[in-house]
Amino acid sequence: MIRMTDLHVTFNRGTAMETKALRGVTLNIKKGDFVCVIGGNGAGKSTLLNALCGDIIPEQGKVSIDDQDVTSFASWQRAPYVARVFQDPMAGTCANLTIEENMALAMKRGEKRNLRFALNKENREKFHHQLSRLRLGLENRLKDPIGMLSGGQRQAVSLIMAVLRPMKIIALDEHTAALDPKTAAFILELTREIVEENHLTALMVTHSMHQALELGNRTLMLHEGRIVFDVKDKARKSLTVADLLELFHKASGLELDDDSLLLS
Amino acid sequence: MGALEIGLPYGLVAMGVLLSFRILDFPDLTVDGSFPLGAAVCAILIVSGVDPWLATGCAILAGMAAGFTTAWISVRWNILHLLASILTMTALYSINLRIMGRPNVSLLGEKTIFTPLEKLSFPHLYTMPIAMFIVTGIILALLYRFLSSEKGLAMRATGSNLRMAKAQGISVNHQILFGISLSNGLVALAGALFAQSQGFADVTLGTGTIIVGLAAVIVGEAIFNPKIILAALIACVLGSFFYRLVVAMALNASFLGLQASDLNLVTAILVGFAMITPKLRAKILDFKATRSRA
Repeated sequence: MIRMTDLHVTFNRGTAMETKALRGVTLNIKKGDFVCVIGGNGAGKSTLLNALCGDIIPEQGKVSIDDQDVTSFASWQRAPYVARVFQDPMAGTCANLTIEENMALAMKRGEKRNLRFALNKENREKFHHQLSRLRLGLENRLKDPIGMLSGGQRQAVSLIMAVLRPMKIIALDEHTAALDPKTAAFILELTREIVEENHLTALMVTHSMHQALELGNRTLMLHEGRIVFDVKDKARKSLTVADLLELFHKASGLELDDDSLLLS
Repeated sequence: MGALEIGLPYGLVAMGVLLSFRILDFPDLTVDGSFPLGAAVCAILIVSGVDPWLATGCAILAGMAAGFTTAWISVRWNILHLLASILTMTALYSINLRIMGRPNVSLLGEKTIFTPLEKLSFPHLYTMPIAMFIVTGIILALLYRFLSSEKGLAMRATGSNLRMAKAQGISVNHQILFGISLSNGLVALAGALFAQSQGFADVTLGTGTIIVGLAAVIVGEAIFNPKIILAALIACVLGSFFYRLVVAMALNASFLGLQASDLNLVTAILVGFAMITPKLRAKILDFKATRSRA
């Protein structure tokens, strides 16, 4: 169970640029929940995800993972519990390390690293096996620097890397936004498969209302740093994008005018 | 052979600079101070009668402390790495003078770690370069072993992608503190070996150490274009030999009319050339590609 309680985050406090990114967000994520977070630019959805991952420490509020208070933990200290896939395909992997080296790094996410060789026959075989499911031929390129791969290939490897170790939650930060539509669909399908077969708990931030209904079992929308609606399971099943807009209108009394949100 | 003998400690400098500049992406000028620091600590201890091996060990520790200082200033107080290293480097000049008590310490007639080699029936001209070569080889092997371990991989990830490293649970600050300490430990070892092989330590010894190390790394990369970590280590060591060789040839070629004081000019031109080469190579490949398509 992940509990985020009354989170407040302000950027550039005390300056003319002051922005309240989160204004009291409370979100409990049950084990096995797959939560899609949607919202326009500046709604606070990335801030929420970063607060979960420890990139941002909220000035008020509490984050706990399985009853352990992790509010003051830096991102590297939360790594045993949180696996991440970033929006930017370059961000989730080390370009000048090889595919197998990147995977070896992820094999030890949040664990003590020692002086043993990072790569051995056993984990190479494991990586080969894991990559072959992608059908991208990457299993034969283990010794290539990962920087030689396309953005989509890198995101696919990032997803595989995320599940090499157990976790409490996987945080997906608009991880298909930088990809072309065909590749994005492939990565989305892969995400669904991986989350399902590993029974993961997930928090996915997305720009696309369509995606937010298609994946997972729970959709919530942020607007100006607050949750405007939160629908799950049965109530969500029959919803369409039009219903989401209606929900938004009812909850906030506003018409949605963020084009990027409507078009995608 | 003389160029090789003086050049060999700089193979260690090259590996130290590779560690800071390339692997940790932390441009560190501390080495200009930690090279003479290593020489000073080692020389003064030997002169006071300490065992040369112990003196060399102390030199390494002193270098590591210098590196740690730079990394700590940068990481703890969020000071730009370059500035932090300039601070330490500046302080080290005075500290080195304090350690030696005078600008120059001679080791002539003192027992050094190379003294037992003089008893060998082998021609002395060759023993020193061979001994240095072996030392460089051992350090290279150890460094390679470390960098391919789980810990070493964490260090390389820190320099390559800070955000990813953190997301993988790596404490990047610890990596930088340890890596920069290690880098300067290597450079101080080079200084200690230099002092013992050349028979003196001088406070001005360090001037330009960073540019020599950088030259080795960049020349090595320009020639060998290394893709894996072992190749990068070997390339920077060979780069340091190549750099020495080119400089020696340039200064000795009478038709160029260069003199010893032109060393820095030659170095700058060589490093500049090595930095431009990969870009030039890419441009030529681009040009060929567009022409073949037309």
